[in-house]
Amino acid sequence: MEIGLKILVPLIEISVVLGIVLFHVAYITYFERKILSHMQDRLGPMEVGPHGLLQPIADGLKLFFKEDIIPAGADKIIFSIAPIIVLVPALIGFAVIPFAKESITIFGLTFKPFITDINIGILYIFAFASIGAYGVILGGWASNSKYALLGGLRAGAQMVSYELALGLSIIGVLLLSQSLSMVQIVEAQNRIWFVLLQPVAFVIYVICAVAETNRLPFDMPEAESELVAGFFTEYSGMRFSFFFLAEYANMILVSCIAAILFLGGWHAPFKFLEFIPPTIWFILKVYFILFFFIWIRGTLPRVRYDQLMKFGWKVMIPLSLANIIVTSIVLYIVRG
Amino acid sequence: MIKKVFKNILFLEIVDGLSLTFKHMFVRAVTEQYPRKKRVLPDTYRGILSLQKYDDGTERCVGCALCEAACPSMAITVVSGEDEKFPQRRFSREYYIDITRCVFCGFCVDACPVDALAMTKVYEFSSYDKNDLLLNKKSLLSLGDTIAKGGGMTPVERKYKFPMEGETNKIESKKEEALILC
Repeated sequence: MEIGLKILVPLIEISVVLGIVLFHVAYITYFERKILSHMQDRLGPMEVGPHGLLQPIADGLKLFFKEDIIPAGADKIIFSIAPIIVLVPALIGFAVIPFAKESITIFGLTFKPFITDINIGILYIFAFASIGAYGVILGGWASNSKYALLGGLRAGAQMVSYELALGLSIIGVLLLSQSLSMVQIVEAQNRIWFVLLQPVAFVIYVICAVAETNRLPFDMPEAESELVAGFFTEYSGMRFSFFFLAEYANMILVSCIAAILFLGGWHAPFKFLEFIPPTIWFILKVYFILFFFIWIRGTLPRVRYDQLMKFGWKVMIPLSLANIIVTSIVLYIVRG
Repeated sequence: MIKKVFKNILFLEIVDGLSLTFKHMFVRAVTEQYPRKKRVLPDTYRGILSLQKYDDGTERCVGCALCEAACPSMAITVVSGEDEKFPQRRFSREYYIDITRCVFCGFCVDACPVDALAMTKVYEFSSYDKNDLLLNKKSLLSLGDTIAKGGGMTPVERKYKFPMEGETNKIESKKEEALILC
């Protein structure tokens, strides 16, 4: 009985978190299309359901029934595995994202507001996120197509170089919170959000997160006007939708991390606003950052490849290193 | 120099762009929800051609074939005929418009001396069969009836479609009838 419960509770938690994440992944595509269209004075999806609300379901069904084509010259095994290598790390990161403060008790079972709280949470996420780059490169290589190969190479180079700056930008936060656990990082922001203490790190994080998720203005790997669709040019049906899901799951994941590391996770911005449940605050913050990503996409043109690399290596990484040094010195003086 | 550095640090140019796109989120979309909501067409809209009747139901066309001569894309074919009893009363025995060749210039309407040809506001006449687009006299006359079905014509539209005389035609058609009969 004891062991049964120990297995059952995490299973329920995992399925609930996975379900919520996949639901939001589906609907973030809808919000993206709607917001982008309204920014361009269009209406966006309007046909399926009221104001096109059922569009993600229709899209999913369509992709599900599409033929699964594997090109003749492709490396079949790697070609099939690559989408999974991309999607799994994107979803697995949500295991350590805390959504709220208190546990809930239903039918005598206690559910934590996160699947697990390991003491190296943020490291775990970044370790898995970098595996996603392998899927992209392998997928591009295995397709045996020049567009896919170029897209994969660009993606590999971009993800590796921006991951450095991304990882370095959060070190300031880790210095302040003195922990790698997501829950403890949020609790350390009880009095003041880290975005106020680490504004430079926040800016670097957001820019690198946009680059890391391969979105405009850094969508070099996809670059539909240059490379057809980049590394997933040859993919179709469910395999294509795996890449697509992974992109949006990654977007939500980096937004969740931004909300936790910089915007105080589930904390309300002011004391008098604490009557709103912590989960709502968390979701609001995540959606604010997601909206910002879409907003950026609707505003900026794509940068050139050499500009992207120059920006990453010559601006972002030195800046984040400088941020670490300044933060360490200040903390050393303050804390003695 | 300092100003430039300051501008770059605060991403002022990007903030400019962001504010523009944000403002446009609240601008009314220009999209028309076409099949459900249709645009109000101007009175002078040049849609598919039609043959008109007098208000008493007699055909206006006298088979003069001036429209055929005016047509730049040679879309119109008129076969003229005459009444055996009243040789003065000429009419079109057959009347064809190949609407696939029509360029909707409206020259035929201008050429018509009796306002028999008019352009309707109908623009949804696509078909799976090209033969449907070769309009004969019957389909042209029924297209003419769509104007009456659509709530008649506004004064401006009427003036545009019947520039020669408009209302007086009904009386003249009667007069003509009387002249021939006596």
